[in-house]
Amino acid sequence: MLNTATKHQLALQQLVDSALPTGAFAHSLGFETYVDAGAIADEAGFLVWVSAFISQSLSYSDGLVVRLLYDGWDVGELDSLLSASLLPRQVREASVKMGGRLLDIGDEVFPSDELASYRRLVATGRADGHQPLAFAVVARSLRVPLEEALAAYLFAAVTSLTQNAVRAIPLGQNAGQRLLRQAADAVAAAVEQIRHLTPDDFGAVSPGLEISQMRHERQRARMFMS
Amino acid sequence: MRGRLELGIVMRGARSIASRQFHEGALRVLRPHYLDDSGQVCYVVVNPGGAYLGADLFVLDVEVGDGADLLLTTQSATKVYRTPGSFAEQRMTVRLGEEARLELVPDQLIAYREASYRQRTCVTMRPSSCLVMAEVVTPGWSPDGANFRYEEVRLRNEIQVHSGGGEPELLALDNLLIRPPAGDVTGLGFMEGFSHLGSLIVVDSRVEQALADELHWLTGTCEALTGISLTQTVAGTTGLVLRALSNSTEELNSLLTGCANLLRERWYGQGPLNLRKH
Repeated sequence: MLNTATKHQLALQQLVDSALPTGAFAHSLGFETYVDAGAIADEAGFLVWVSAFISQSLSYSDGLVVRLLYDGWDVGELDSLLSASLLPRQVREASVKMGGRLLDIGDEVFPSDELASYRRLVATGRADGHQPLAFAVVARSLRVPLEEALAAYLFAAVTSLTQNAVRAIPLGQNAGQRLLRQAADAVAAAVEQIRHLTPDDFGAVSPGLEISQMRHERQRARMFMS
Repeated sequence: MRGRLELGIVMRGARSIASRQFHEGALRVLRPHYLDDSGQVCYVVVNPGGAYLGADLFVLDVEVGDGADLLLTTQSATKVYRTPGSFAEQRMTVRLGEEARLELVPDQLIAYREASYRQRTCVTMRPSSCLVMAEVVTPGWSPDGANFRYEEVRLRNEIQVHSGGGEPELLALDNLLIRPPAGDVTGLGFMEGFSHLGSLIVVDSRVEQALADELHWLTGTCEALTGISLTQTVAGTTGLVLRALSNSTEELNSLLTGCANLLRERWYGQGPLNLRKH
């Protein structure tokens, strides 16, 4: 008989596996703009971007929303905060698109009352259904401890983005693995930082990341939807 | 509390006028101006103390009634000096009535060495009201000439739309946090090698993708790095957010004013903003 910790470990591994069909392979969340402009052309360049992305977007938006749900905030309120604070249209759409997939998959494999009620809000137009929030609802229903949930979510997001960078820049497979190893330290630092953020910090994203996410809408040839 | 200002604007005949005006401490407004014959009233906020210091709190409450039209600006840059162990703060609450308009175009923000500043602006508007707000944040000022020597700048804008009798719905939450001591803010993924940040938010039922495309084209000719995107739509009204990075206040002012002027001409038949003629 598996103990609870092992059970939630296995569930978490399935949830954050890069093979989970949420469509993450289709999103660069802004880094393609830099690649197109020649500002990211190698492993070192992508590391700068992904580090900024982890300490900004993934901390102040995704990570904080996961923590606030665990703190007991209302899922509908958090959903509306995400819809309002993701100002670049493609990033907002990416979050809802991947969130919708995660809500469906979650319902198939890890159904719970909490998930059903979030799905109901989305189905009735009272919420949009964002990716980090869908993840947080499922992880919390499985009693995954907050820090484990945060680390797994952030590292999964970084893994998808790195795999996309390996294809887009392009980089070698080993370079991708070296990047992930370095990003793991940034993820660990972010998990620690997220504990200390306040609701006033919600959605604080640097102008540079936002501008690149906005400019992606107008990029002519692109591999990614965001 | 260092200063408080309350301003209520209503439509009287063909002109917008202040029906309510109150100030205490280090905030007041200059005599109103009418810069053209549109009936739009222009108020200039003055901080006679000249600066924001540690633990200073400035509170502004602005209401623009149904059909009324306000242009609100400042007399000079907002300067935040050293705020050891504390922070200076401005809280602004704005309520816009049916078909009311607010153009909020303050001078730039300058945070000096060891300054912390928090600004929070909460706007509640109707689907029929029009909001245009611009902001320029400079890299601050320090005796040795180095940029970004301040502790922290936080600018948070919340825009809610109130339709009918229910609770207002959140349309946009725009949160900027620059904290130079926490890490390099100048490079890729933050200020992209630029020193100044400009931001323009427009919320109006007439905002659409074609307008974003037009403003993109308009800003494409300058050297600033700009991005434009539309917010979600709430109760039939949509926001447009423009961010720009540059190396000068002048370039950002001209870029943001250029965009505001296009909207003034298109939606209100007004001439360009000219705040320096009075």
